[in-house]
Amino acid sequence: MRECLDEGVLQSYFDGELNRQTAEGVALHLAACVGCTQAWRELESEDLLLSAALEPEFSASVPTERLRQRIDAAIAGRSVAGAEQAKVVAQPGGMSAIPAGRGWVKAIADLFTIAPQRAFGYAGAVAVILLAAVMGGIYWQQGPGAKVTRGTIAGSGGFQIPVMPIAAPQVNSNADSTQQNRNQQQLATAVTNKRNPSTNLNQPGKSDHVRLLPGERSYLKTIATLSATLNAESSRQMKPALQAEYERNLAMVDQAIAATRSAAKVNPNDPDAADFMFAAYQSKIDLLNQVADSRLSNRQH
Amino acid sequence: MSGQARALIDSMSDQIVAEAPTLSFDEAFTLHHRAVFRTARAVLRDPGLAEDVTQEVFLRLYRNLDSTPGDELLRPWLLRVTLNVARNIIRGNSRSLARDTVYARDAIGDGWVAPEEDYERRLEIEEARRALDKISEPMRSCLLLKQQGLSYREMAETLSIKETNVGSLVARGRKQFARCYGKIGGKIGGA
Repeated sequence: MRECLDEGVLQSYFDGELNRQTAEGVALHLAACVGCTQAWRELESEDLLLSAALEPEFSASVPTERLRQRIDAAIAGRSVAGAEQAKVVAQPGGMSAIPAGRGWVKAIADLFTIAPQRAFGYAGAVAVILLAAVMGGIYWQQGPGAKVTRGTIAGSGGFQIPVMPIAAPQVNSNADSTQQNRNQQQLATAVTNKRNPSTNLNQPGKSDHVRLLPGERSYLKTIATLSATLNAESSRQMKPALQAEYERNLAMVDQAIAATRSAAKVNPNDPDAADFMFAAYQSKIDLLNQVADSRLSNRQH
Repeated sequence: MSGQARALIDSMSDQIVAEAPTLSFDEAFTLHHRAVFRTARAVLRDPGLAEDVTQEVFLRLYRNLDSTPGDELLRPWLLRVTLNVARNIIRGNSRSLARDTVYARDAIGDGWVAPEEDYERRLEIEEARRALDKISEPMRSCLLLKQQGLSYREMAETLSIKETNVGSLVARGRKQFARCYGKIGGKIGGA
């Protein structure tokens, strides 16, 4: 009789990783050798145990939607960050001219980085956003002289924030992805204006300018889809306490959206006004996503 | 006005040119984000950190889209980066990380992320993780990767080991796991 099978060869045979010739040799040996047949049976049962034990780990839900959003935002932040650094260098006064503005912009940047992904109970963060929105409204009404430059958001958001380095690109990205939306909005507006110059003359209304931006539309669409999905589910699936908390947070986010939106409406040319509105939308999407994820994991069990 | 519009359109077309390779990036994300996230979660045991790792891995892919291997070697590349990033986190390269982890755990402790219905399943996962902890590298990674359907060649590529060694590493890992898992399971069952 030929010598017995190595455990690695047997495993490779089990996993279908051997070439045909070797596999035939192993099959022949297995048919004739009691010891190796015993080892084979052990292998089979242990493999079954291993697969069953690891199955829950690898079948738990993956937050695809949120991952995609995070990565898109991070990529957008990365591509815009370079341009903004250049802008800051070109305007050295930009950073120091408005030290008071930096503080709360940074505080809000922090909130949006950490809160939406971590916890459901971030009503406090929403309250701060709400406050910031009101402050922002007052701030912008003071005129363009008090305007915060883009470079400031990037500059203050990117440094000295107590999160790990991996999360750091995202700090920029929250502000920058919304900036990208704003760019798209301006472009779309420009294109629309080009196509319908008469419409533009007839309707110089600023509220339409805000209402029609494609960035906002995609946010609203996402929110509508998520809400529809959530409403389609039975609300009984959620514990009453959590349901109440969810509704409370949702109301606060809606309030924040309304406040930031009216600020954006009043200041249609201020990029930061639009940014805050988009940030408020984003926090609503995050909240809805968390609820959806949680329901999904409930149902899977 | 038209000049401004043209400038905007120009910048848009620049963006389109710059985004040309993202088609394959999108495909890569669609195909592999689950494997990346699950591997990171299995190593770090923290969904929040696993998200951070996934973001970092795909950012690196985006940055190195031209130089990363395609086709069947892409998944090993992604998972190798995943394991590296995750291990760096475990080594504690960032002090603020500990704070972040605590924050994530607190959030889970609030009961929102882990509802009671999931308790048993989480217990199962916990038990398997404790058994995996007893297995030394690279056997442990072999088991994690094999469970996700990687071929021996992909596993060898991911872990920078010889393909001919994968079979015996899997066999040894599996035996160790069966020994430890049985023990831990017995303890829990007896208690």
